[in-house]
Amino acid sequence: MLRFLTISNITLFVYYLLSNIVYLALLITAILKNAAHRARLASLRLEHLRTSPFTPPVTLLVPAHNEEQFIVESVHSLLAIDYPDLEVIVINDGSVDSTLEQLKHAYGLKPAKLLYIQQVPSAKIHGIYRSELQPRLIVVDKEAGGSKADAVNAGLNAATSPYVCIVDADSILERDSLLRIMAGVLNDPARVMAVGGIVRVLNGSRVVAGELKEVRLPKGALEILQVIEYLRAFLIGREAWSKFNMLPIISGAFGVFRRDLVLSIGGYRPKAVGEDFDLVVRAHRYLQETDKDYVIEFIPDPTCWTEVPADLRSLARQRARWHKGLLDTLWPNRDMIFRTRYGRVGSVILPYMWLFEFWAPIIEAVGYGTIILAAVLGMLSREFFLQFLLYGYAFATMISIGSVLLEEMTYRRYSDWREVARLLLFCLVEHFPYRQMTMIWRLQGIWQYLRGDLKWREMKRTGLSPTPSTTE
Amino acid sequence: MGFVSSWTREPAGLVLEAILGSLAGIALLIGFIVLRRWYRGRYFQKRNERAFILRGMWDDILTGRVPAAKWRFKPLDCEVVESILLDTIEIATPEELPKLLACLRVSGLLDMRIFEARARRGTSQRMALVALGRTRAPEAIPALAEALEADAAETRIAAVRGLGRTGLLDAAIPMLDLLVSNTLRAPEHAIKNALLNCCRPDPHLLVRYIPQSSGPARELLARVLGELATPDLGDELLVLATDRLPEVRASAARALGNAQPAFALSVLSVLAADPEWFVRLRAVVGLSNFAHPETVRPLLLALCDPNRHVRQRAAWALARREPELESIFDQVVGTRDRYALEAFVSELERSGGFEKVVQAIQDRSPAESAASILLKGLAVSRERAMSVAASGSR
Repeated sequence: MLRFLTISNITLFVYYLLSNIVYLALLITAILKNAAHRARLASLRLEHLRTSPFTPPVTLLVPAHNEEQFIVESVHSLLAIDYPDLEVIVINDGSVDSTLEQLKHAYGLKPAKLLYIQQVPSAKIHGIYRSELQPRLIVVDKEAGGSKADAVNAGLNAATSPYVCIVDADSILERDSLLRIMAGVLNDPARVMAVGGIVRVLNGSRVVAGELKEVRLPKGALEILQVIEYLRAFLIGREAWSKFNMLPIISGAFGVFRRDLVLSIGGYRPKAVGEDFDLVVRAHRYLQETDKDYVIEFIPDPTCWTEVPADLRSLARQRARWHKGLLDTLWPNRDMIFRTRYGRVGSVILPYMWLFEFWAPIIEAVGYGTIILAAVLGMLSREFFLQFLLYGYAFATMISIGSVLLEEMTYRRYSDWREVARLLLFCLVEHFPYRQMTMIWRLQGIWQYLRGDLKWREMKRTGLSPTPSTTE
Repeated sequence: MGFVSSWTREPAGLVLEAILGSLAGIALLIGFIVLRRWYRGRYFQKRNERAFILRGMWDDILTGRVPAAKWRFKPLDCEVVESILLDTIEIATPEELPKLLACLRVSGLLDMRIFEARARRGTSQRMALVALGRTRAPEAIPALAEALEADAAETRIAAVRGLGRTGLLDAAIPMLDLLVSNTLRAPEHAIKNALLNCCRPDPHLLVRYIPQSSGPARELLARVLGELATPDLGDELLVLATDRLPEVRASAARALGNAQPAFALSVLSVLAADPEWFVRLRAVVGLSNFAHPETVRPLLLALCDPNRHVRQRAAWALARREPELESIFDQVVGTRDRYALEAFVSELERSGGFEKVVQAIQDRSPAESAASILLKGLAVSRERAMSVAASGSR
């Protein structure tokens, strides 16, 4: 027993030290990459992209399942996006509410005979509609496929552009976000296969007619903690991994993909729990196996605003699902690990995801237990125990503040002093009990996956404010 | 030495150092955020005040009544004046431009930027290149051209964008020289946009370079020409339409459709039967720009194309030939091609011409006949056709 505790504590100590070194390296890399990106932006004029006849067409794919609350506002906002050649395809994924009726009413949808070739698997199509008011809007009405992946696949089959941008129906894209993200693609269109933008927390901000009018920090503590998490995940994690072309995930809420790539890998896996992570890992696999010289990129300035759970129950479900999705992708792709054929993806990022993402809640839970036990049994000096806790707290806080610093140095979306002060304050308090709660939810996700419980549980939403008019 | 001693130290000592390090990190980060906010707030306030004052004497600055020496060596004033000048130049008419450029020259701002573009590296060099592009001054071209061969990719991109932004024909020459020798290393999209801006006044410049180019460079030049072509480029476009590279032929089709020289219809009709589907597609798009009756036949052939994109586009073009819809419909039915008919009817529905065609057929023949014609072909719109036929027979 004593020997077990000693080994366990040493393992924990090494694990924690390693993870901290990795996070610090990621923070430094992210700061450097961000500076380089801003240097490139200095000579870019979005106006030139907007007016250029060489800017390729893009199809926005918007899966919608029971989104009656704000589908009209959401589509209104997507149609207002600044892009020269845009097609918006909303996929009504077997909604049992009035999603389709709302769209029909607001946009004057009429049945249209558009070519639909089932190139990737998806559930049966009931009909395709085109808007009389907005010719760029197409609605694909289909049977519920049981997953977002199935809905996106239907959209892929109907899309006509060489690039598709997948957007959540409950998210808001900034008007210039598509131009900005496509600027990343057009830097090297032969090599850039996919690009992800940043996803930020919408809660608390002022939205009028599906358009973000004023960015504000949410009021609730739970939501502010998620703001910090999102900043850390996107401005540090994704920014840094993409520097080495090892981006493991492009958020399902906002990402652009080459359509031919997605079709080549068979579209989204219909039963995938974390379809976004799964798609990117399979894309890496395919591109490595076919010896393609490719880039999967993250760009921090194209912004998508999304609503995050405001109550504990919804948040718990979301986090459990994310962790299930993680395992659901890592397990089928376990053969990629440490195989030279898969390059850095197989030798660095997937092992990292296993060790520091999947195992993290398990090791953390075991660690809490063994450290406390060792302290109680007198095996661990109380002074050392407290120091170790304090170190963990201080280091994690430093990384969180680093993400706020990146936000400050670059995009400064929270312009009010008081909001920044609140963000910094929450960086100091996020480690107890929020961190422990997240750990429990992630453990629940693992347990649900092992039990074969892959159900999608609804999230409670507040929705966007209504639109005064749906025509431009 | 320090490294060795850290490893021989007790874990508690290490942890203590780590705590202190992390706390120092937190303090530094927070301090930096606060100081930066404070500094920026103060800077923008000062800049705003100076901009207000300098705007008040703007005409005097432009005419030189306020000598450049008064503001040129005060960094903040210099920055504000340059920023106002460049913003004004971007929207200046040809009549206003000389006065603004004269101010840039006399004040030495232009020379300063040229010097920075040549002597500096990194961010300062790129900022200088961006500024030079915005000046639209011919003197800026050599400095921008030199940066095309810089080691840093960002610098090369800034140079290409800068040259493009000048909008001067001479600015295209260094890019074209490097392009035809396959040594211009910059994103294709940036090069195309830059050439488009620079060659707009005289697309013949591109024509001169196309024979010297090969492979991707040739395709790129043809693509730009496709956007800029004018009717007087007739013979050159004819040569491009017979090029061995399909991308070049596609661009020629685009150019012919845009420029519409006298022989465009016949050449586009030939290109509409090209072995490459995207050449045929571009030819069909080109043909759709003409309202001439001669285009109906090649479009009908394209409607029976094995490629769905070509069929769709031909259907799109035919469905918008408003006065001839009825006769076109008969000809489409005459092709006995189900896919062609399906594509055409879909487009008719989309363009709102469907009801008109049905009405026209009903008017000229018994309703049963109209229904039988429609029912034969409109597998896609069976229900609708039935209801129309039924209402016609009532």
